[in-house]
Amino acid sequence: MALDVTIGQYYGTGSVIHRLDPRAKLLFVLTFIVSIFVAKDVYAFAFLALVVIASVLISRVPIRLVLKGLKPLVIIILFTSVLNIFLTRGEELLFTKEIIKDFWTVNIYKEGLINAALLALRIIILLMGTSVYFSYATTPIELTDGLERGLAPLKKIKVPVHEFAMMMTIALRFIPTLIDETIKIMNAQKARGADFSTGGLIKRAKALIPIIIPLFVSSFRRAEELATAMECRCYHGGNGRTRMNVLKMKIRDYVFIFLSLTMLAGVILINIYANGYKLL
Amino acid sequence: MSAIEVKNVNFVYGKKTPYEVHALEDINLSIKENCVTGIIGHTGSGKSTLIQMFNGLVKPDSGKVFVDGKDIWEKPKEISKIRYKVGMVMQYPEYQLFADTVWEDIAYGPKNMGLSEDEVKERVTTSAAFCGLDGEALAKSPFDLSGGQKRRVALAGIMAMKPAVLVLDEPAAGLDPRGRREILGGICKYQKESGTAVVIVSHSMEDMAKYCDELFVLSHGKLLLHGDCKEVFSEGELLRSAGLDVPEIYGVVKAIRKQGADISKYIYTVNGAVDAISRLLEGRDE
Repeated sequence: MALDVTIGQYYGTGSVIHRLDPRAKLLFVLTFIVSIFVAKDVYAFAFLALVVIASVLISRVPIRLVLKGLKPLVIIILFTSVLNIFLTRGEELLFTKEIIKDFWTVNIYKEGLINAALLALRIIILLMGTSVYFSYATTPIELTDGLERGLAPLKKIKVPVHEFAMMMTIALRFIPTLIDETIKIMNAQKARGADFSTGGLIKRAKALIPIIIPLFVSSFRRAEELATAMECRCYHGGNGRTRMNVLKMKIRDYVFIFLSLTMLAGVILINIYANGYKLL
Repeated sequence: MSAIEVKNVNFVYGKKTPYEVHALEDINLSIKENCVTGIIGHTGSGKSTLIQMFNGLVKPDSGKVFVDGKDIWEKPKEISKIRYKVGMVMQYPEYQLFADTVWEDIAYGPKNMGLSEDEVKERVTTSAAFCGLDGEALAKSPFDLSGGQKRRVALAGIMAMKPAVLVLDEPAAGLDPRGRREILGGICKYQKESGTAVVIVSHSMEDMAKYCDELFVLSHGKLLLHGDCKEVFSEGELLRSAGLDVPEIYGVVKAIRKQGADISKYIYTVNGAVDAISRLLEGRDE
């Protein structure tokens, strides 16, 4: 089914990565993303790929599960790389053919192939790295907690950090619930002879109405119930609220942050010193 | 001939993941025509999965499902035809309502079947009347109705398709005693008048004892017991071990028997117990 979603798919193994402070993990992912976009060189990518593989191994999340999370994005990865093959201009021409005379000639350059491969690698590394740290090894609650604490200084300039974090927690929490609900409603309407897979675009769009309306109705009902339940427990926002688990940075978290910054520095150094392909 | 036949069916959820669950293990059963069949099991026993196989919403990993003697997965493209034959009312069916008016909502199934306008009209009116909904209610929005009424609308929507088998997943869940009686009584009346086979899934033993002719008990994906109410409820210990309750009156009768009184162990309704006990007492007076 097209409803395989990796967000919020926590896979607990109790590894070091699981036990890290979420703020340290947020910082790592931030430096990781910057590193990926700074990296221009094959060696830099190899280095980042190693970081990802090491992370997967240390987290003890089955590699099969991580790869499965890439599945929905295969088409996007293929599409962007294929476009790169055809649209990049370079110096070394590998293949050329005139498809429509004086109008459209396909030229494939060596640089295009390399660019396409690196782009695919870039997306794959990005997705694998962030999904290991953000969804498999961190529960959504920890993540939003970390975000709230990490962004706490912004409260001084009146940014409603707690409210945003709470909204994010609720949104993440309800993704699986809504997926379940969608499947249930789809089945119920299928049992009444609904057909979602044949007919033209308009017919298919119309076939979705019996799913979308009940889904909206139940979402509003859930939102109202949740609001009532929160008010019953005297929820009134972040002021004066204490926590059961207070986040505390440990030595390993500082070591991890140091390693993250080293990774970024490493990528920049490789970029400067490597004598590989100059791509950009 | 049986309305539905299930042969050696297996089903596993989340195959090859750490969350693998063997939901159904080698199930064999047949649903008789023209009677009310109950399927009992506690939460997670696989009963919902099983009934979703009856109309092809879930495909068994192995084994076969026959409706009217025909293998439903023989032509996978025609599976929607099976769904008109086996009408399914899901749990909390009121959450599937979507149309502007009650009338439109009940007409959704029959319209999907491609029936003529007159035929749709006739079916909607009859099945609505059956569920105690009259002309005025039909013009209302389904979202303005009470919970019990909404459920009746959803039921009418399936009944209007005139299925050969009507399957209901917990039709009385979350209703008050009067709502339960009305819904379940209505279903039984419908069964007697239309002669369709009806399958009810529930974990309420009292309801099942009252309305069902034949029972299947599921436990951890396996068929534990099968028989009429007498046979099934006489296995009180086995039912308890499967995490199910037996009708409370069963305990009373058992206690009386323990005292040495000669009372049948096949008593599972209050009325039956009253008769048996008064007979016992009369015998003692003489």
